[in-house]
Amino acid sequence: MSQLRQTQQAFMQYLLSAKSDNNLVDIRERVSDQKGISADHRLQIYANAYRIRLKETMETDHQILGQYLGDELFDKLAIEYLDAHPSSATSLRQFCDNLPAFLRTDDFFCQYPILADIAQFERLLLAAFDGAESTRADFTDLQTLAPELWPDCSLRFHPSLQMFSCKSNAVESWQALKAETAPDAPYYQQQRYWALWRNSERLTQFESLNQSQYVLLTGFIEGNDFAHQCEAMLNWYDEQAAPMMVLQTLQSWFSKGIIRELVIT
Amino acid sequence: MSEQKITQDFIGFGLGLRTDHFEYILQHQPAIDWFEVLSENYLVAGGKPRYYLEAIAEQYPVVMHGVSMSIGSTDPLDMDYLKSLKKLSNDINPKWISDHICWTSIHGVNSHDLLPLPYTEETVKHVAERVKIAQDVLGRRLLLENVSSYLSYKDSTMDEWDFLSQVAEEADCLILLDINNIYVSARNHFFNPLDYLNKIDPRRVQQFHLAGHSDYGEYVIDTHDHDVPPSVWTLYQAALERFGPISTMIERDANIPDFPVLYQELLEAQKIAELTLPGHPALSQSSLAPMGAISPMSTNEDLIQDPYQLPSKKVAV
Repeated sequence: MSQLRQTQQAFMQYLLSAKSDNNLVDIRERVSDQKGISADHRLQIYANAYRIRLKETMETDHQILGQYLGDELFDKLAIEYLDAHPSSATSLRQFCDNLPAFLRTDDFFCQYPILADIAQFERLLLAAFDGAESTRADFTDLQTLAPELWPDCSLRFHPSLQMFSCKSNAVESWQALKAETAPDAPYYQQQRYWALWRNSERLTQFESLNQSQYVLLTGFIEGNDFAHQCEAMLNWYDEQAAPMMVLQTLQSWFSKGIIRELVIT
Repeated sequence: MSEQKITQDFIGFGLGLRTDHFEYILQHQPAIDWFEVLSENYLVAGGKPRYYLEAIAEQYPVVMHGVSMSIGSTDPLDMDYLKSLKKLSNDINPKWISDHICWTSIHGVNSHDLLPLPYTEETVKHVAERVKIAQDVLGRRLLLENVSSYLSYKDSTMDEWDFLSQVAEEADCLILLDINNIYVSARNHFFNPLDYLNKIDPRRVQQFHLAGHSDYGEYVIDTHDHDVPPSVWTLYQAALERFGPISTMIERDANIPDFPVLYQELLEAQKIAELTLPGHPALSQSSLAPMGAISPMSTNEDLIQDPYQLPSKKVAV
């Protein structure tokens, strides 16, 4: 192995676990003693910068989670997440992608499932924020479609559209903290559903869905056609009401700009 | 050594494009020569950043500046990253593309820091070879920027300026000379910053960076969160004397002031260039213009309250 590679390995091992003396020894032997501050201090500047930069990324991407946890617990989370998931991406944008899963499985944090839900919600907001741009279809596109083609019609959605589901009051807590009010204590009830997207003004939006709306939307996302989805709605509505519910919901989605195009299969 | 000019002509004075200033720039179209964009911030599919970038790139020249090429790493070059840079460059048509002479990742783990390299013959060959590959993918010469550093390695066999010069010569690439980084490293490693400037081949220098730093007395950290200090302005003047008019921008990454405040600081760079190189024809091409009748004692708040004092962009930049 080349000298250069050995040096880079030793340096990275030091950054990843600067508290371990073993990891300091290897890189310390490679660093010059110079005038001014000591070699240990010089290395410490890099170790501090590494941790500060990644913690700042967590704070930026998960501002509300940070408020929910408070400084002490957020510091604990940052230290443990950094140790468990060193960055493997070229952009810091992806650094916290594993945070919801970490919160769900960590021995300490998994005691509070709402934390993973808040983190997941914040990841999806970011995904909606910088999802790809595309055209948006208008309700008149559907209105001008011959009625006999409707049953075979399926939908393509704006790339920013994200779906979220949880049992906790994570979104309500997120909203409370965003409005600078105290959130309710965590509670867990029946499954809740949300859609998130970026609107035509490039603002990120979200709204709650009932179960039938969630099934309708996810079914269309999976490529099901109008006829299939009307049938699926029979679990909640009778034969007369189901098509009307689908039509009204579609009209609402068109107006929100989440439908990219109609596809006739 | 060929005498053929390999750098692009002076394009004036620019600023780093920051999200805080997106709306201001589109609304007021300030008379600025160009913007430098941080490539990694725009390697996303869409959304607000891409929208603003594309709108601003339609109106101003832009250059791309990256932090993740890890050109000195012993990991394989990240071809997906290079291809995404190439795609972005196809989309926004930058005047040039730069990154840093450093390493950031090993074994697939990214430090997200600009880590120093040992200055050896082995490293020169290693980095130069990778720069050539990157240049082939990008289809153009790359600019490499000197980083600020806080340590040096026992196995280094040459000075940083010789290392940078040798890599640039062997890879046939260009140099982005960060004047603040030279100052920071000079303080941390006790060398004369003029020695650095005097050993760099003027034929290869295409851009200057200016920035502020945090001075802790015994050492200096490159934080980009302060105004450009007098020490860096002085070194900038020396750099202008050696290299002539070089496209110059101010980097500000934290504690970012309102756009008119940064613009005022950029006018200072222009003023120093005009004083150092009086009558140089290239400098007259800049579209920067003084900001109305602002008193030298004006506070930042004064500037913010009346942003209309900022001159608008000329029709043709």
